[in-house]
Amino acid sequence: MMRSLDQLFEQSTRSLAQRTSRRSLLGTLGRMLTGAALLPLLPLDRAGRARADEVKADPSSQESCEYWKYCAIDGFLCACCGGTSTSCPPGSVPSPITWIGTCHNPKDARDYIVSYNDCCGKTSCGHCDCNRNEREKPVYRPSRNNDLNWCMANADSNYHCSVSVILGVAEK
Amino acid sequence: MTDFTAAVVSRTRVHWHLGLRVSKTRPGAGCAMRVSQLVSAALPCLLLVAAVQAAPPPLPAEHLTVETLPPRSPHWIYVFDDAFDNEIDARVHLFDGDSYRRLGQIDAGFTPSVNISPDGATTAVATSYFARGSRGTRTDVVEFTDNKTLAVTHEIVLPPKRVETSPNLFNIAYSADGHFLYAAYVTPAASFGVLDPQAGTILGEIDTAGCVLVIPSGPNRVSSMCESGRLLTVTLDAQGHEAGRAMSEPFFDADKDPVFVQGMPTPRGYAFLSFLGQVHEVDFSGAQPAFAPVWSLVSPAERGHWRPGAEQVGAIHRALGRLYVPMHEGGEGTHKDGGSEIWVFDMVTHQRLARWPVQRYGLARVLAVQVSQDPAPLLFAASNSSDVAVLDALTGHLRHLEKHLGQTVWQMLNP
Repeated sequence: MMRSLDQLFEQSTRSLAQRTSRRSLLGTLGRMLTGAALLPLLPLDRAGRARADEVKADPSSQESCEYWKYCAIDGFLCACCGGTSTSCPPGSVPSPITWIGTCHNPKDARDYIVSYNDCCGKTSCGHCDCNRNEREKPVYRPSRNNDLNWCMANADSNYHCSVSVILGVAEK
Repeated sequence: MTDFTAAVVSRTRVHWHLGLRVSKTRPGAGCAMRVSQLVSAALPCLLLVAAVQAAPPPLPAEHLTVETLPPRSPHWIYVFDDAFDNEIDARVHLFDGDSYRRLGQIDAGFTPSVNISPDGATTAVATSYFARGSRGTRTDVVEFTDNKTLAVTHEIVLPPKRVETSPNLFNIAYSADGHFLYAAYVTPAASFGVLDPQAGTILGEIDTAGCVLVIPSGPNRVSSMCESGRLLTVTLDAQGHEAGRAMSEPFFDADKDPVFVQGMPTPRGYAFLSFLGQVHEVDFSGAQPAFAPVWSLVSPAERGHWRPGAEQVGAIHRALGRLYVPMHEGGEGTHKDGGSEIWVFDMVTHQRLARWPVQRYGLARVLAVQVSQDPAPLLFAASNSSDVAVLDALTGHLRHLEKHLGQTVWQMLNP
């Protein structure tokens, strides 16, 4: 588990490093950590693209758009498609590059940095469409953008679904 | 052959309708019987024969044709449907805001980007296909559709780099004279391709130093949006190669109040809205972009509570100077939530002219708006259920509600 987390974090870091200077990266991380500390848990409003009848309302379920780790996810929840919040459905392939967010876990009152990887190589799952955008930014800040198809660098770049993987605790 | 078949079918149908086991060649033969039964049977038989003879003549043979479009109307709208549930099958519906009919369809592949040529004659679709349908080698391509026939006329195969993202006008865009077509690339390294849409060729690729998208201006300038809030403007020579570049001053702060990338055409450039409801009008008519004083959609009391939010976050009627924005009540992170109201603004006085709650139209939250550019304009508003309301853009009066115009309607375009 730690090895795969290490790999995920390394991949995310490498993809960020390819696009940004070290100062920019540090600045982004600093803003992220600061933002996580300063911003309260905001009331959630699911009036966006996701169609309400398609997702379960139980906030403790990984098949629910309300699940805490999904605070900036955009796409179909892999947990509804044969995977989980941390695993791709059988036969699909994780994206090596990704976008990252900071989500608050109400159960332990901690903020976590999460990686929103896409699972690729099959057509869109079509179940549990979930679009949340806490601290999400437009495409000119790609590391914080969830509109891009993050399967773009995969050999099979079709988009199937999205996961949310904890990278670590966001220290306050 | 068709006439013969039609005649046989027609005759057979009449006989089954009458419920008789009669010969096709001898109508009435089933009525042969004993004399004692003749009286009771004669009357219905006569009535039946009379009924057969009184039946209307069969329908004439039909001829299969292909529909042609009538002359273009300013009330036509090109409706981008990402078909998110099965995203390799996006399409553009051509819809008439007067007759409320679908006029046709342009196929659009996977996470496409769509734009219309300055003369309105051509729709360009930048898309991706996979060799085995949903998997296999990716081919990026720009397909050109003749808007008079809705047939694809030609294509340009791109390197597999085009940006695959939500629709906006700056993923693929024509130069003002239509001679160049620019295609944004994100791999995630950022650059753009310069294409010759008439010749069907790629003229080159220009690195944009981390800035993204292609905002066209004049015959040969392309601006890209940078994380720093600046615009990088690249000027091209006649061959489509870079002749110069310049970076503007910042016009927004991506940390404090980012702008949506869904810019709206104005008479001299584009207007961009910020997450908190600031309006940034950028004049692209000169060699370098110029920024007008910022104004606000919201009052100090509304700021942070009411805000714009959508996939296509506004529309401008350029001649009338009217701005239409889907607005909702919400906090940080709700910038893609649809509008519960459409707010109407005067672009000159910056005054809000109207608030139109969308529930009165039978709409769920509005994710996309577009307005026709004629003197009797229509406002089109698409909900997150892909219902599209057709409104009188001057009064807000509902003219029509088209239910489920597509699967996931995220953008609407008009020439």
